[in-house]
Amino acid sequence: MEDREIIELYHRREERAIAESDVKYGGICRSIALRLLGIREDAEECVNDTWYAAWGKMPPDRPASLGAFFGRLTRNLSVSRWRRDHAKKRYDGMEIMLSELEDCVPSPAAVEADMERRVLAEAIGAWLDSLNEADRRLFIRRYWYACPVKELAEELHEQPNTCSQRLSRLRCALRAFLESKGAL
Amino acid sequence: MDSKDIYDGVTDIRDDLIDGAMSAPKRQKPRKRAWQTCAVAAVLVLAVIGGIILNPGNSGAGITAYALAEAEYPKMAPYPGEPHTEKQYDTWWDDVRAQRRDLGDVSPLLAFFQTSSAVFLSDTAGQNKVYSPLNVYMALSMLAQITGGDSRGQILALLGSGGMDELRRQASDVWNSNYRDDGALTSVLANSLWLNENVGFDQRTADILASDFYASSYRGEMGSDDFNKELREWLDRQTGGLLKEQAEGITMDPRTVLALASTVYYRAKWANEFSKSATAPQTFHSPAGDVETDFMHQRNAQSYYWGGKFSAVSQSFREGGSMWFLLPDEGVTPEELLSDSEAMDFLFSGGDWENSKYLFVNKSIPKFDVVSQFDLADGLMTMGVTDVFDPSLADFTPTVTDVPVFVSEANHASRVTIDEEGCTAAAFTVMMGNGAGGPPDDEVDFVLDRPFIFCITGDSGLPLFVGIVNEP
Repeated sequence: MEDREIIELYHRREERAIAESDVKYGGICRSIALRLLGIREDAEECVNDTWYAAWGKMPPDRPASLGAFFGRLTRNLSVSRWRRDHAKKRYDGMEIMLSELEDCVPSPAAVEADMERRVLAEAIGAWLDSLNEADRRLFIRRYWYACPVKELAEELHEQPNTCSQRLSRLRCALRAFLESKGAL
Repeated sequence: MDSKDIYDGVTDIRDDLIDGAMSAPKRQKPRKRAWQTCAVAAVLVLAVIGGIILNPGNSGAGITAYALAEAEYPKMAPYPGEPHTEKQYDTWWDDVRAQRRDLGDVSPLLAFFQTSSAVFLSDTAGQNKVYSPLNVYMALSMLAQITGGDSRGQILALLGSGGMDELRRQASDVWNSNYRDDGALTSVLANSLWLNENVGFDQRTADILASDFYASSYRGEMGSDDFNKELREWLDRQTGGLLKEQAEGITMDPRTVLALASTVYYRAKWANEFSKSATAPQTFHSPAGDVETDFMHQRNAQSYYWGGKFSAVSQSFREGGSMWFLLPDEGVTPEELLSDSEAMDFLFSGGDWENSKYLFVNKSIPKFDVVSQFDLADGLMTMGVTDVFDPSLADFTPTVTDVPVFVSEANHASRVTIDEEGCTAAAFTVMMGNGAGGPPDDEVDFVLDRPFIFCITGDSGLPLFVGIVNEP
């Protein structure tokens, strides 16, 4: 089913919208949630919560990219769940990702501490635009889609260590970029 | 700023960047998407057969069965597995969309479904009972095609149809909008006509049945083992072998002039599978006494419905269609709900219902495998279709002129099974009796641990099966 038809189902308040969303994007959302949370039950609930949240947003929203829209909801719900429960549950995927993303955090001296989320996203987007396609895809697949390094290495026919080093360089490059744009 | 801020910033990058990295690099080996390997789908399998056998006083002497006309089913691209290309997905989706029909005003059809469900399911005597409204609709439509005069008129009146042209168009649309056979979802209404080779039969009728009702017509020696075997094998094939035992009981004897057979076979996966690890034994309060049975559990954000005497939820299928579960309030039986206009209006409303709320529902649903078989004759006569059963009044002249015939048997068998597969965990045991008061704010438990009604609707929204589960 085409995205606009799925969006129409939401706007007509037809519950089938959720089944159709699940058919087309359940796999992506489930993957993201499972990779981040690592606990199948929590991931499944997170995906259900995604449809619940989407139901609340459409209408009025008409997302340009439904995949990005659902995935974003899943990421937000995953991190919320981590914030709420990480003291009592082991969400390894999220812990590892946040630990890696520490490398991207600019020095407080260079960038104001409470940079607006939208502005930060635009800056990261601009930095991604400056990368070659392979590096851009690698970064997004690791830090947006939460693909494990081992899986990414297989995709690229690389050793996992090589892939980790590339990601490490990219994280450092992002930090440098954000610091260079500190005056945003 | 910390790593969580970076995470949030990455979350909100532009859509085109996200979409551009959705798949692995093309030059690499395709990677199976994780959902396919993680999710083990639940399967729902069910089938219905219905036959109407006409008996004259005649005997046959032929030898071989042969086809007068064979129905041609639409070609359908296979459901795109993983990995799939955009073209494969689009081809499949175009084929799915090509089957959809504008059914127009379906209120007369729904009125028939509503009335007939109440009539055929009213007498369960504490047993499970299943009825397929669409199966009986297709069989009656074909019966109308081969009858004339009042025999036909009574059927048209029951189906709320203005005439044969209108009914043929509608039957064809209903058939198409419920047809799907793409490897992921099977939904086929199959029809056939079995003719005594010693009785004259108009080829044009066979052609109309093939083109408008997707029915194949066969001729052979009535009463012969071979012809009976062919009918049973046809029923078996069309119902995936689910009703083998029931089909064994269907025979045509030498006096049979023709037999009409209609089947519905529907097999679909839940959009959200139940987890096997969450399934656990629980008590079901059957009319015959408490029984222990396996209950599946699931928590979903979804619509919850209620009426004066019931509460209800639905469970969607992956490729369209839903299964509806109606739980009568404490002290109300499923049979009482069948005679309750509000409950029946809801059952055929497709979820277009004022008393509903979108919230988290903790479902506890028993696994079940229910089979029933009964004669439709009494129920059809109650609803005004009488002449075809009366040897002195039945009018089959548009089809058979050599001998007077009438309907001697109208056998309807159905089987519905639901199951689960997967690996999540949850257990909900709180029972809720919910009447007209409405649900709580955010979350509700829906526990089917006493007799309930179910209804399966296909992609068209029309009811394929309605049933009462008294003992799962």
